[in-house]
Amino acid sequence: MALEDFAPEMDRCSSCSYCKWIPFDQVKSWRFAKNCPSIAYHNFNSYSARGRYTVARSLLRGQSDCSETVKKIVFTCLTCGSCDVSCKICRYNLEPLEMVRELKFSLVEQGHELEALREVRESYAAGKNTQGKSAGSRGDWASDLDVPRIDEQPMPVLFHAGCRLSYDKELQESARTAVQILQGAGVEIGIRGDQELCCGGRLYSMGYRQEFESSAEANLAAWAEAGVKTIVTSCADGYHAFKRLYPRLGSQVEVLHTVELIDRLIQEGKIKFRSQVPLTVTYHDPCHLGRQGEPYVPWDGVEKKIMEQIVVYEPRRPRYNGAWGIYDPPRRILESIPGLRLVEMERNREYSWCCGAGGGVREAYPEYSQWTASERIAEAKASGAEALASACPWCERNFKDAVQAQNGGMKIFDIVELVQMAM
Amino acid sequence: MPLSKELYRALEDIVGTDNLSDDPAVLDSYRYSLAHTAIHLGPYFDTFTPRGAAVLLPGSTEEVQAIVKLCNQHKIKFKASSTFWSAQGYPSTENTLQLDMRRMDRILEIDEKNMYAVIEPGVIGATLQAEAMKVGLNTHLPGSGCSCSILAGATSYFGSGPSNLYGGWHYDNLLAMEWVMPTGDLFRTGSLGSNCGWFCGEGPGPSMKGIARGFLGAKGAMGVFTKCAIKLFAWPGPEILPVEGTVPAYGVSLPELFRAYTLAFPSWKAWADAAYTIWDAGIGYLAHRQFNMFGRDLKHAMVKILTDPTKTLGDLEQLLQDPEVQRVTEESTRDFQIVLAGMTPRDIQWQDSVLDEILARTGGWKVEAMNSPEINPWMLLYLIRLGHKNLNLVFGGSYDGCFGMLGAADFGAANAEEAGLFKKKWEKHGAIVAAGGDCMMGPIGGQGGGGTCLWENFTCFDPYDRFSTEGTLEFFNTCTEFGLEKGWGVGMEKWNDQARGPDGRTPPKEVRDKIHRSHPQPSAFRYQHRIRETFNPNDLGDAYYETLEE
Amino acid sequence: MNGHRERLMDIVGKAGITEEPTLGESYSLDRDLIPALDSRFRVRPKDVDEVEKIVLWANETSAPLVPVSSGEPHLRGAAAPSALASILVDLSGMKRIRKIDRRNRLALIEPGVTFGELQPELAEAGLRMITPLLPKLRKSVIASLLEREPIMSPRFQWNLLEPLRSLEIVWGNGEKFWSGSGFFHLDNEDSWKQGLVPLNGPGPGQLDFYKMVSAAEGSMGIVTMASVKCEVLPEFRKTFLIPATQLDELIDPMYRLLRFRFGDELFIVNRTCLAHMLTREVHHMQSLKETLPAWMMIAGITGGHILAHERVQAREDDMRSIIEQAGLRMLTDVPGCDSSELQDIILKPCEEPYWKLRYKGGSQEIFFLTPLERTPAFISEMDRLANKFRYPVSDLGIYIQPQHQGVNCHCEFMLPFDRQNQEERSQTEALFREASLKLFRQGAYFSRPYGIWADMVYNGDTRTTIVTQKVKQIFDPNNVMNPGKLCF
Repeated sequence: MALEDFAPEMDRCSSCSYCKWIPFDQVKSWRFAKNCPSIAYHNFNSYSARGRYTVARSLLRGQSDCSETVKKIVFTCLTCGSCDVSCKICRYNLEPLEMVRELKFSLVEQGHELEALREVRESYAAGKNTQGKSAGSRGDWASDLDVPRIDEQPMPVLFHAGCRLSYDKELQESARTAVQILQGAGVEIGIRGDQELCCGGRLYSMGYRQEFESSAEANLAAWAEAGVKTIVTSCADGYHAFKRLYPRLGSQVEVLHTVELIDRLIQEGKIKFRSQVPLTVTYHDPCHLGRQGEPYVPWDGVEKKIMEQIVVYEPRRPRYNGAWGIYDPPRRILESIPGLRLVEMERNREYSWCCGAGGGVREAYPEYSQWTASERIAEAKASGAEALASACPWCERNFKDAVQAQNGGMKIFDIVELVQMAM
Repeated sequence: MPLSKELYRALEDIVGTDNLSDDPAVLDSYRYSLAHTAIHLGPYFDTFTPRGAAVLLPGSTEEVQAIVKLCNQHKIKFKASSTFWSAQGYPSTENTLQLDMRRMDRILEIDEKNMYAVIEPGVIGATLQAEAMKVGLNTHLPGSGCSCSILAGATSYFGSGPSNLYGGWHYDNLLAMEWVMPTGDLFRTGSLGSNCGWFCGEGPGPSMKGIARGFLGAKGAMGVFTKCAIKLFAWPGPEILPVEGTVPAYGVSLPELFRAYTLAFPSWKAWADAAYTIWDAGIGYLAHRQFNMFGRDLKHAMVKILTDPTKTLGDLEQLLQDPEVQRVTEESTRDFQIVLAGMTPRDIQWQDSVLDEILARTGGWKVEAMNSPEINPWMLLYLIRLGHKNLNLVFGGSYDGCFGMLGAADFGAANAEEAGLFKKKWEKHGAIVAAGGDCMMGPIGGQGGGGTCLWENFTCFDPYDRFSTEGTLEFFNTCTEFGLEKGWGVGMEKWNDQARGPDGRTPPKEVRDKIHRSHPQPSAFRYQHRIRETFNPNDLGDAYYETLEE
Repeated sequence: MNGHRERLMDIVGKAGITEEPTLGESYSLDRDLIPALDSRFRVRPKDVDEVEKIVLWANETSAPLVPVSSGEPHLRGAAAPSALASILVDLSGMKRIRKIDRRNRLALIEPGVTFGELQPELAEAGLRMITPLLPKLRKSVIASLLEREPIMSPRFQWNLLEPLRSLEIVWGNGEKFWSGSGFFHLDNEDSWKQGLVPLNGPGPGQLDFYKMVSAAEGSMGIVTMASVKCEVLPEFRKTFLIPATQLDELIDPMYRLLRFRFGDELFIVNRTCLAHMLTREVHHMQSLKETLPAWMMIAGITGGHILAHERVQAREDDMRSIIEQAGLRMLTDVPGCDSSELQDIILKPCEEPYWKLRYKGGSQEIFFLTPLERTPAFISEMDRLANKFRYPVSDLGIYIQPQHQGVNCHCEFMLPFDRQNQEERSQTEALFREASLKLFRQGAYFSRPYGIWADMVYNGDTRTTIVTQKVKQIFDPNNVMNPGKLCF
């Protein structure tokens, strides 16, 4: 695709500003009604999906240049997709999330990448990870785990740790825990260890299309060689990349998030809980597991009009609006943990507030990223929870940093940690 | 023309560096396409409102005053908007300063006992309603939906919507307000000016609120409103709506005290009879002919799509072939929606019985298909929260309304069929969505207690398509001719015609004067000219405030 | 002056002009506490064209005009001339009820039509007007609405000007104008047949013309015709009495009733006020004051048109539940007052003598708007001030009328006094002046600034004063309309 392909949408955007709010039906208070961190923080209309449509049009028409302001407008988009959900409450022929991704690609391809993201790109080029670390130490998190390396011993199920879990010393325990829980439940699972490559998802959301594609192709090739049929990951970003982006490149691998598998194993009686976990917990839906975690449906078609001027597609185009994301499995897990009380934040499921880490924002705009996370912490507190659980290490890292900056006040867990506490 | 450095710095001193921009791309995100839902003018293909001189995000009344005073000093026009939807909130001439009121978004107070809220311009209907519901109150929402600024609807635009009937329209509900006048002077109206509080918008003596708005507001052309008090009304439902369902098919069930019905009638006379009787009987919490905006032929199929999360617009043609959909579509020809809300179980029971009696007397009926478990909760939530008004634009991205026939229910009902047929013939030209001609939407009760109806005939088109956009303009021109011929007056399609011409800017004086002179009482605009002369001496607004200088 | 007389005679005819050097006698009540100047002529135009000519003439000659539509007694000073050689423009002879439209519930009336004349005509059509509490017999409906007199049924009051709708106005500059949707020329038969009826109050356009003449004391223009919104005539009604020892006991239940819009007529009076309403006999008033409860909420329930009895029963049951939860009782009679007798009284204009004057022949009103919950504090203050001026507290009549569906209320003190007794007059005047100022400073909103309140209010709100004066310049540039009123 190219940015020009979105020209019709730039004109057809309703300018209604629904992209700035959670679905109105779900508004429960003034405090937690907003959905888009970038406009909530920056306030100018340009920082919303409708604003980015007009900025894109302005650039395409040559009415403005790619100034530093324009770069900021574009790259402060977390690509969380909440605008997309809200827009699609009413619209069936707009794709604001796809548009803003294309806008990022377009700026990068024209040489307007951000300095902070250039560093990430270069780090990826050097070490095949987004953390600026050496490739060689990628597998250290599993050094004392008794789990096959699929490059030596082909396995049908691969656990993909991801860059964040591989290198973040505080968080990587949950990767180990996940593998152990799954093994304990009888899942024959392997890892790639220091051979693991970045999924490319974060690079994609930063605007690096080529780098993503090369990462994806490398992963697909390695998996094919190892006979991998199913990917399991605890990282929502990776989950989204494998499930929604890789199939565009031909992937047919089944993709599961750890929580989907654990949920299944609990239902099958293969995971049992023996201990109480007396905590009031709220669950944060990661963007890439929740609203962006819907099944991929291939489509290749064209726009057509019916009833003279109604814009539809031939063949019928699938609709990604967050309806079928992964919301229930993590909740079922939490609700089945003895002693644990699950409370909901006002913004949840498909209209969850982003953690602030995605799209390159954590790397490029740390203050705004942390503000976004702290907003979510405030929301968690307002729900009456003492702990916030999630299913993505990027979310958890951002939340932990925000909590630390506030000197505490909320415990942050990955779901698998709570599962282990209960086992 | 860019702002001078001196002026830019002065503005920066007022709002802070982060709240001011003259970046061209930012400014372009504050332009509006007139191929779009310009509201009551055009549409004009590939035409945009002029680029502003700068955009500012003021954070307080004091900042607004300082900006306006600076504008007076430098003779720069300014225009404020809260949500920037429709061309009404955008400049009409070059070098206008744009004020984005988004940062002033506080609900300052909800007085539960005396049933009003004090709000800033950035407060939208959804958040005010959510907060009001927590204390058993509700706010009237304008027909444009809960994404819009309550203050803007009340002070500056129209403010009519489905809950006019019970909640009053925002003309009725506007209490005291804080107004930064076009000169930068601060005017606190009504009881606020006497330091008594926010509870009364009138007086002292002749009510000077009347120069801020009449039937319509000044549409951003006469200063900036920075706070207002808005009257609320009872909400006998839960503090938080128990919304269920899969997006976008959210719904709510409130069986104890609420009923939501789609009513249909055998004739337009019966339809009008029902409206009058509903008003006479004093029942109804909100009443609107809402879903007909999709078109007589398409409405039920659209409802089926909207209430099924697996469906898209691509399913429309197939649904239209479904015999059951066809049957319901036919049944709903002359329909409207009504929500009853009982303050107590006895109250809802009585209202329900009265409605049954009204249906018996008029030969009307409840459209049972709209009572199904999939649809009824969706309908109730839709009407209460009015959070799906982007559906006005669902088909291709643009709509505008023609005709209008604002007046007594009999007036519109007598002419509805003819207005619908006129449009239906035009739909064959191909420029507008072929929706069955009658796409008329409007409140059953244009003001508190009822009394009038409005019949906005939705005309949906594609703003990306020159043929569609230009064809719509042509259609609207013929609507105006037809309406004048019929004695209906100039329709909604031209209600803002004096404000902007085909170039997106203020039309020349001769064009505007001609429009105003053709009004039944041009004197109204002469007085408005005097008002503007008096209170906006540097003429820093645009022609959305209509004047005739003679 | 002779020239004036001749010109006026040309306009209204010989019968339409009265020349009396001391025309003010009928305004003597106004004059008691409001200094007034004698007017010279009274002219009685028959239609809007004559009014237009009068106003145009006034602009030529700078003759001050004082429009008046109601008959005696006059209590507030609006019709007491404040300028030398004023001409009273007496519209009370313009008495036509031009149209009654049952379907649209609209009546089209001229300024001389009184409540007593209108209600029977409306009743024949199955309609009624919601009226103020006991308007005087000769009270003009249009004048009452223009004055923003509070009406008894807050649930029908969507805004404070209701039920006033479109107007035909002659502005102070002499121009004829139609506000709202009156530019269909109000009683134009063709328009009416098409369904174009003058239902709207606001506008036309972006200026709210009828607000300019609202509570303006005739200082902007003269209204010569109005459409007024009516309600359905109830088939069946009941009135209930809710007695209380303290006003505070009634506040919360009143708020609940207002929240749900239960009750038709809905207001609170103290025993003194109620006594004055119930009887013309002074001695009977005194005994009633000893018998009646200290406070009473009056709540009417109506049912009309469809399932009337069911409605009344449902409302009664619900309201009783609310009242009883507050520890009060909803009764049909209390010692001294029977609800059906009271109902008969309040649903009609007041028979002579006007109820506020029955006790002592004179009465000074203090009224303002305030949220209901603040009324007890104002009443305490008023009691304190009455004591300070040795005005008998038991003589104070108090009337609290919720308005605008409960957003605020009209709080009124009636200070009866003997007009023939100089000491009492002085005492009442002193109390009136100090109480007005004190209450204003404590947040009482004098939205209808008659007499001395004008200076008080306008001096305290400079911006409103400047704006109002500028607007006056537009509609009455030569200041011929009731000069000296408000801030003019």
